[in-house]
Amino acid sequence: MSQLATFIEAKRQNKPILSMTHVVYGYPSVEESLSWMEKLMEEGVDFIEVQFPFSDPVADGPSIVAACHKALEQKLDVDTCLSQLGKLAKRFPDSRIVLMSYLNPMYRFGLDKLAQRAAEENILGLILPDLPIEQAATYQSACKTNNIDPVWLVTPVTPPDRLAMLASQASGFLYCVARSGVTGHSSHEGKAKQTSLDDYLAQIKQHASAPMGVGFGIRERAQIEQLTGKADIAIIGSALLDAYNQGGQKAGIKLIKDLFH
Amino acid sequence: MQSENGFYGQYGGSYIPEILYSSQQQILHAFEEAKNDPEFLAELNKQWQQFSGRPTPLTFCANLTEHFGGAQIYLKREDLNHSGAHKMNNVIGQGLLVKRMGKKRVIAETGAGQHGIATALVAARLGLECTIYMGAKDIERQYPNVFWMKQLGATVVPVTTGAQTLRDALDEALRDWSSSHEESHYLIGTSCGCAPFPEMVAFFQSVIGNEVREQSVAQFGQFPDRLYACVGGGSNACGLFLPFLDDKEVEMVGVEAGGKGLELGEHSIRLSHNLGQPGIAQGFATMFLQDNAGQLQETHSIAAGLDYVGVSPIIAHLAETGRIKMTYAMDDDVVAACTLLLKKEGIIPALESSHALAGAFKDAPNLPKDAKIVINLSGRGDKDIFNVAKAVEDETFPQFLTDYLASYPTTQNKGDKA
Repeated sequence: MSQLATFIEAKRQNKPILSMTHVVYGYPSVEESLSWMEKLMEEGVDFIEVQFPFSDPVADGPSIVAACHKALEQKLDVDTCLSQLGKLAKRFPDSRIVLMSYLNPMYRFGLDKLAQRAAEENILGLILPDLPIEQAATYQSACKTNNIDPVWLVTPVTPPDRLAMLASQASGFLYCVARSGVTGHSSHEGKAKQTSLDDYLAQIKQHASAPMGVGFGIRERAQIEQLTGKADIAIIGSALLDAYNQGGQKAGIKLIKDLFH
Repeated sequence: MQSENGFYGQYGGSYIPEILYSSQQQILHAFEEAKNDPEFLAELNKQWQQFSGRPTPLTFCANLTEHFGGAQIYLKREDLNHSGAHKMNNVIGQGLLVKRMGKKRVIAETGAGQHGIATALVAARLGLECTIYMGAKDIERQYPNVFWMKQLGATVVPVTTGAQTLRDALDEALRDWSSSHEESHYLIGTSCGCAPFPEMVAFFQSVIGNEVREQSVAQFGQFPDRLYACVGGGSNACGLFLPFLDDKEVEMVGVEAGGKGLELGEHSIRLSHNLGQPGIAQGFATMFLQDNAGQLQETHSIAAGLDYVGVSPIIAHLAETGRIKMTYAMDDDVVAACTLLLKKEGIIPALESSHALAGAFKDAPNLPKDAKIVINLSGRGDKDIFNVAKAVEDETFPQFLTDYLASYPTTQNKGDKA
């Protein structure tokens, strides 16, 4: 079993559902984003999904897009980011860090090098939402060599045969997108098709032996209660960023407590 | 030009979020079927002729030819399409495909506004709901086009993220598509994006080159020696060039936007002078203007339709293999080429197309007198009146604007009259 899956299984012995919180590296500054991650891990979140910003984050909604653009006003460097995350990973052995970004900055950095450096810094999983599994042979083999998990996404409109294929290749955990559309609150939200989450998760479960994380549009305790027992991880992205934007770390921590405690 | 699984050499492909997989597959299959369906092709041809006014003429420019004293200069008059640009060829094609797929809404992004207008026109004609994303800065530069889109019933959404230009509009259109793909089609206006868009747009635009093949033989008894097209996304260039790919004697020149200079942010040169770098973004692999960290960069051109950060994977591949020669034209040379065409031939070109003119005008004097060159006049220049007036420093235009504004019936004035 992969390191991530082993960690999830162990943690799930004592917790009905695990928390994954999302932080944009470099927003509003590198130091503050690292301090924010530290605070979240002190609070006991199980995972931090760290987004390395890209200029054109097409799967994200307005909150995360704005944070990425703001973060990119500074010169950000993938290698430095990984080193800094490595230090945090060492200090907080009860949590895990997963790196998320878009393909282009990682492609420029080098996918082999990314897998190797991530493993060196104890980053156990990588999420690249614009890399389809069909184009990912090199990336998958680099991940395998370095014993880290390439996390794949499934959505409510993924056709059944494709869902089975993605689920069978899932390692670490399967990222289940809760609804059509981009992350968080968005002007496009009204157009997004709502699906029956229970049916959707039950369908995935038929194919997936890997743990399941659910994200996109999660911002209320009731949603997390609904997921409990059906998924392993609830992923909080834009809602946490919105709370942070309104009231800093304090408001963000309050949201985490309201949602998970 | 047929791709291999969506790839043209190392460029192209389909790098989209998982949420768009089903829609992308639907388009792929619908296009495969449609392009081999005689009924669809007959309807396409009918719409091209009866709605857009095809075939467009191949116009000999006797005065310019004499002026340069070199090659004989011809223009392919895509400016004479309904809406004034080649954009209509593709939009009619995709519009018919949308009906075939049973979808009710189209989303589009636009830079100069020509694709937005063409999409709004076809949406109105086919009874489709229409949303156009446009960078807030482009809206300022091209407001007359925005006005017409709205009159045609389209919703125009200003995009205020990033540099507020075409690239940001494209990101926002992709986000809309992610949320609404079940009832909406993303009607991409250039031969970029995930497969099959580059191939599909090039297929619909190839009517340009196919007509030039027939017209050139009919008018001067041979294929042209050289073809010129401006290259933003690359759709008009694909349209002119691809039908001649196997005719090795026909040279092809693509002209990018040199803008104000060769510093990053001042131009939109992706392929000439190795200024772009291979990258993967916005759904496909191509040469992008980006920094060493893989962040896409801001671009500039006097022509809003050319300041795209990437380029068609088809053009990138043909440039890499040497089949197309790439060059660029600076803003100043573009305005000079535009005014020369106005004065010598009585034709008002778009600033985008004026890049192709500038590239050709540089070469024309040095080519033999019996050489025949065809420049794709991809669009007409009416939309550029404000920018051209500013560029040529016309003294009376600002006064006209001031007087016109003073006479404009403001809400206050209307209230007074009532």
